[in-house]
Amino acid sequence: MKMEELIRFGEKFFDELEIAVYKNRDASVNIELNEVSTSALRERVVSVVRGVKEKKLGVSIIDTADKEKIKEAIERAYKMAKLNKPDERWISLPEPGKYKKPRKVDKELKEVSPDYFVELARRGIELAREEGIVVAGGGGGAEWGESLIMNSHGVNVSQEGGGAFFYIELVGMKEGRVTPGIFEFDAKLSLNLEVENVVKNALQKVKWAFKVEKSKTEEAKVILEPWAISSLLSYALFPAFSGEKLVKGTTPLANKINENISNELLAIYDDPLHELSINPVIADDEGVPTRRNAIIEKGVFKGFIWDNYWAKVYGVESTGNGKRNISTGGINIGLHNVVIESGKRTLEEIIGEVEHGYLVDGFQGAHSSNPDNGNFAVVANPAFLIENGEIKGSTVFMMSGNVYELLPNLYEVSKEQKVLPFGGSMVVPSMAFENVRIAGK
Amino acid sequence: MEEKLENALNWALEKFKAEYIEIRYENISKNTLELKDGTFTTFAGKGQMGVAIRVLADGAWGFSSTNRVENLEKAIESAYKLAKAAAKAKKEKIQLAEIKTNQDIVKSKMKIKPRDVSIEEKVERLMDLEALLKEDKAIKSTWLRYEDASGEKILITNEGTKIKWDLNYIWQYVWATGKEGEKLAAARDEVGAVDYGWEFFKEREPNEEVAERVIRKVHAQLQGVGPKRGEFPIVAGPIVVGIIAHEALGHLAEADLTINSPFKDLIGKQVAPEYVTMSERIVEGGFGNDCYDDEGVPVKDIHIIENGILKGIMLNREYAHKWNMEPNGHARAENYTYPPIIRMRNTIFEPGDWKFEEIIEDIKFGYYVVDFRGGQAQLNSAFQVGVQEGYMIENGEITKPIRDTSISGIAIEALKKISAVGNDFGLEMGRCGKGQTAFVSSGGPHMRFDGGIVIG
Repeated sequence: MKMEELIRFGEKFFDELEIAVYKNRDASVNIELNEVSTSALRERVVSVVRGVKEKKLGVSIIDTADKEKIKEAIERAYKMAKLNKPDERWISLPEPGKYKKPRKVDKELKEVSPDYFVELARRGIELAREEGIVVAGGGGGAEWGESLIMNSHGVNVSQEGGGAFFYIELVGMKEGRVTPGIFEFDAKLSLNLEVENVVKNALQKVKWAFKVEKSKTEEAKVILEPWAISSLLSYALFPAFSGEKLVKGTTPLANKINENISNELLAIYDDPLHELSINPVIADDEGVPTRRNAIIEKGVFKGFIWDNYWAKVYGVESTGNGKRNISTGGINIGLHNVVIESGKRTLEEIIGEVEHGYLVDGFQGAHSSNPDNGNFAVVANPAFLIENGEIKGSTVFMMSGNVYELLPNLYEVSKEQKVLPFGGSMVVPSMAFENVRIAGK
Repeated sequence: MEEKLENALNWALEKFKAEYIEIRYENISKNTLELKDGTFTTFAGKGQMGVAIRVLADGAWGFSSTNRVENLEKAIESAYKLAKAAAKAKKEKIQLAEIKTNQDIVKSKMKIKPRDVSIEEKVERLMDLEALLKEDKAIKSTWLRYEDASGEKILITNEGTKIKWDLNYIWQYVWATGKEGEKLAAARDEVGAVDYGWEFFKEREPNEEVAERVIRKVHAQLQGVGPKRGEFPIVAGPIVVGIIAHEALGHLAEADLTINSPFKDLIGKQVAPEYVTMSERIVEGGFGNDCYDDEGVPVKDIHIIENGILKGIMLNREYAHKWNMEPNGHARAENYTYPPIIRMRNTIFEPGDWKFEEIIEDIKFGYYVVDFRGGQAQLNSAFQVGVQEGYMIENGEITKPIRDTSISGIAIEALKKISAVGNDFGLEMGRCGKGQTAFVSSGGPHMRFDGGIVIG
């Protein structure tokens, strides 16, 4: 039986329905305490049936792609729909669209043996072996995914692809002092992972962290490195881009289209097919073609992102930002590959010009930010003190405020961008802010 | 299914030379409902079924997971080969602490299991909760998530462990956004149970109480003012005490993390005043309660800090051998797609003898922190906890609410600053992420910190 026949079968029950099948294979090793610990191969198949009958939604999720089982899942979804209340705002599932040409995929990632990563991990541990330094954790692996999205309006799109990653967490222990854990990583769409660079950068930071400097309570220049900036913005800013929140009046950006929310150095777009993206999807989880969506250009807010449902409620087009929560089957509005545009000068040059300030590698508690108003209160850790253009040692401080008050203080963006496996994928530079209020320790 | 698992195990024992083979099967039905402002955006029935296999060969772990149960032998072979491959890079061979194996059937303590409750009733209850929340004019948007599960889990090993669980849970999460003028505020609320069934929502967490709590939190945020930054006396309520126990101290007492943390050199030493005891134990209503862990080891109560002295840590069999200690039942896996790792269950500070009024009466200026939104800690015990409900304390009295702030500190230093431990007790249910999600709870009495914690 073909998948199309399952759609026909489902139409006996539903006014319209969608079947999504996800197959994932993930080969990995992890590192614990200077040693390779577990080597793993995980395979999973999940099928999701989403059907609507008389505006009543029913969803069923099963751990298989077996056609007979999918038939049962359709019947189960129908039973759920009958029990649901009608959603008067429901309009319809998406119509077929025109997709961009998919990126060429590296098939090597599909078959790669975990042995490859055992060797990679061994090499990483070896490179990090220095006195007073412990490889507390880490790992490497490759993920391969295949997906199929079909619906009764003719959407039928399959995608495949994969990526590889390597990360390491180092802890320095000297004379009774334990440094914070220092993370470094690399993620790519191929096996060309830069283990040496990852280890080199992590070692540099642990060495900085051995020397502890005090931070003051003051207004200062603060440079946020990619991991720090992406975690802060992911929780305090990006949720405000959701069209659903516009409909509900719970986004601080509601009346801000075409208004400045930062200075002109800031440009943010969602572009899954960007050259550095590690999430090059041509269709979202509802089968709507993805595109490059400009969200902030030259500091000006350009518009919201939408999935099919909320776009139709609001009377606009989906921007291809429907993302499925695989454990609930539900679709939420989300980003595929956030790109923050790079600047002209290197991070080293930017640090070099700071007379007194701080470099932040990571934030603790970014996820406790308030997405509904942009307030945050985070701890910069690991963070480093900069004096006369040089890193003096590690420090810890609190940074609290509001993201919409922080953004206009952006004064420089680095030339280098880093690819992060965060909420799909992100391409992010370092960003330098002035007059940031911090509470030192 | 048990026979099929045993046959596969016997096949593997004949074919491979491994120190240890573990097969964990699960077949669980779930109901997931999400109600967003009057619409069920998720209305799902879910079947989760698959097998996890872990093999220890030549002193290294191999793990595989699959939902193709018909291919069990292939999955075992793959885990075995993975272990052999990892072993090549291994210097110190992994060994497991000996255990007395158990053969048992773990029955559910739930009175009304979620599978015996109709979807209609589940739907009605969520709609009722939404209506109660929206009775408050400031509540602009609500997002209610509900999930329950009923099913079985079977664990068998080559050593003779054979445990079958009747596995059930219920879980509910509320996110509410409030608006007054241009001011937006949000609050979260999370409850869940493994030992209580549907009766939980009648007897322990009725809609009226949940709604009242959420509305209170939203209003505290809407009316709140930013706190002064700096170090002040902090009185933490049970939920915040719990998150400090969990994030800042509990993680350091997970043996795989202890080894890289300051706790390593502090075991047996005084780390807090003698009136402070922190436990990791079975608690009435605890979301992390269980009889055995995912290695088949019985769950034991431990005191992480006993009368101020750092004592116990959480172990799996591998780390128990490494530390020459008894395993205590903390190896947990989120589901069949993951191997078990060392996790907390219920992490709490034990009550003392102070009344709440006594704790605050001599504070001229300080803060009372009641509930959190997110928390995180580093291996050196530096922690951050976002505060979603908090108040000022002025001249021994609770006064104005504060908004969107956080507290932070170095836990091993803050512990020494505990000056009062309350005689009450409260528990918070939640989920902990350590690469995998685990249901946990945390809590304790009201506690006062005279320094060691920065707010702002």
